[in-house]
Amino acid sequence: MENKHIHSSFDNDLNKLNNNLLKLGNTAHEQFDNCINNFGTRNLEEIEKVVGGDTILDDLDDKVQKLGFEIIALRAPQAADLRRIIVALKIATIFERIGDYSRNISNRTKLLIELNYSDLPGVYIGKMGQKTLTMMEDVIESYVNEDDKLAVKVRNSDVKIDKMHTEYYLEIISHMQRKKNFAPTGAHLLFIAKNIERVADYVTDIAEQVYFLVNGNVLSDHRPKADETSLKIPE
Amino acid sequence: MSNINDFKSLELTVGDVFSKNARIKARNVNVFYGNNKAIDNVTIDIGSKEVISFIGPSGCGKSTFLRCFNRMNDTIDSCVVQGEISIDDENIYDKKIDVVPLRARIGMVFQKPNPFPKSIYDNVAYGPRIHGLSENKEHLDVIVEESLKRAGLWQEVSDRLQSPGTGLSGGQQQRLCIARAIAVSPEVILMDEPCSALDPIATARIEDLIHELGNDYSIVIVTHSMQQAARVSKRTAYFHLGKLIEVGKTKEIFTRPQHHQTEAYISGKIG
Repeated sequence: MENKHIHSSFDNDLNKLNNNLLKLGNTAHEQFDNCINNFGTRNLEEIEKVVGGDTILDDLDDKVQKLGFEIIALRAPQAADLRRIIVALKIATIFERIGDYSRNISNRTKLLIELNYSDLPGVYIGKMGQKTLTMMEDVIESYVNEDDKLAVKVRNSDVKIDKMHTEYYLEIISHMQRKKNFAPTGAHLLFIAKNIERVADYVTDIAEQVYFLVNGNVLSDHRPKADETSLKIPE
Repeated sequence: MSNINDFKSLELTVGDVFSKNARIKARNVNVFYGNNKAIDNVTIDIGSKEVISFIGPSGCGKSTFLRCFNRMNDTIDSCVVQGEISIDDENIYDKKIDVVPLRARIGMVFQKPNPFPKSIYDNVAYGPRIHGLSENKEHLDVIVEESLKRAGLWQEVSDRLQSPGTGLSGGQQQRLCIARAIAVSPEVILMDEPCSALDPIATARIEDLIHELGNDYSIVIVTHSMQQAARVSKRTAYFHLGKLIEVGKTKEIFTRPQHHQTEAYISGKIG
């Protein structure tokens, strides 16, 4: 947004939209970071903070939607401005959904603590979360710098998360089959792993929006995918 | 705030016609051109330091109503204005009111730029001179410079102040007219389609200027461009067939108008 509009008030509106969107993105990142960290530390007080903090994301999303709606109605944006607003509205909704997953993971972590869960060999939720967090950091950076190359890199790295998810899925199911009383714990672990995989998918969606923002067209090739959990029957 | 039940016209108007810091108050205003009723019982406040747009289809009475505020309609023999219009609670249609100082307090910018056939300097200095607003030549120089700066024109003309105002481009001429209006320290500036003769870039400059000036003056702008109203004003009033149909925050009018006629007009279904 380096080229200024003749209407300085239009720039003010766009900056306000952008600042709120970045605040939303950074808060979504912080919430996800904390929920992954809390999975390891099992600090109930910190877990509750993530659960309670979700309303901040809801409010910021509402703000971005309202601002974007008003800018479209009042400014009739064109070209890159139009793309920026449409992208902001889409990304805001995605960040808000990532927040929902952070809350969901946190709630399940509380239950796992009650179930006295101890780490399952071969299932590294923290590692999967950290990789997704890195993708999230990169995608926010790609948006701020309008770096479409970094956005494409983020998009293509989702396949690693898909592979981890498939691997952990099979491992958890296998453990559930071997140890019947592990079923409740296993079910929550499956959901947590799936939620993280979905967060990575959402980050990928943001990356595609960044590409569209910069180039004005969508990425034409199909995104690489490696989540085979819906295709494989565990042995 | 006035009692809403005091005004018959409010039966017709949707939205809050009153303003907490009203500078101009129009109450039950009717305007006739001979037997033709051009404005039908309109009540509205113009707030202090607010930019308000009047929008509506051609012939809806928005320009006629605007011209009531500085008694420009007095120049039309067949025109009769009824009701009450006050500025800072002083009735502007009182017989004691002298329209010359009134028009300095309530300045006007017209559709077509109309600089005097004088130099750029004299165009701006004209008002302060006839109203005795400058103490000496140096003070007049300061007023001219400040007014041109506020109108966003100083940088473009500072080295040719003695050149004729009519030699400027259309957009520059309109900014010169705005500088001329500002030079007499008005309280309210009326703008009657100030950009309709200008290209998009000159229009954008004037609109940005209106946004700036809105911090210091009350500005009433009549425009055919709904997008212009949306861009520059904080409050919008929609007129139809001489009636004030709806008035409200511009954000509200352009995102969720309350009256079906407003909705139809801004959606391009009537007009």
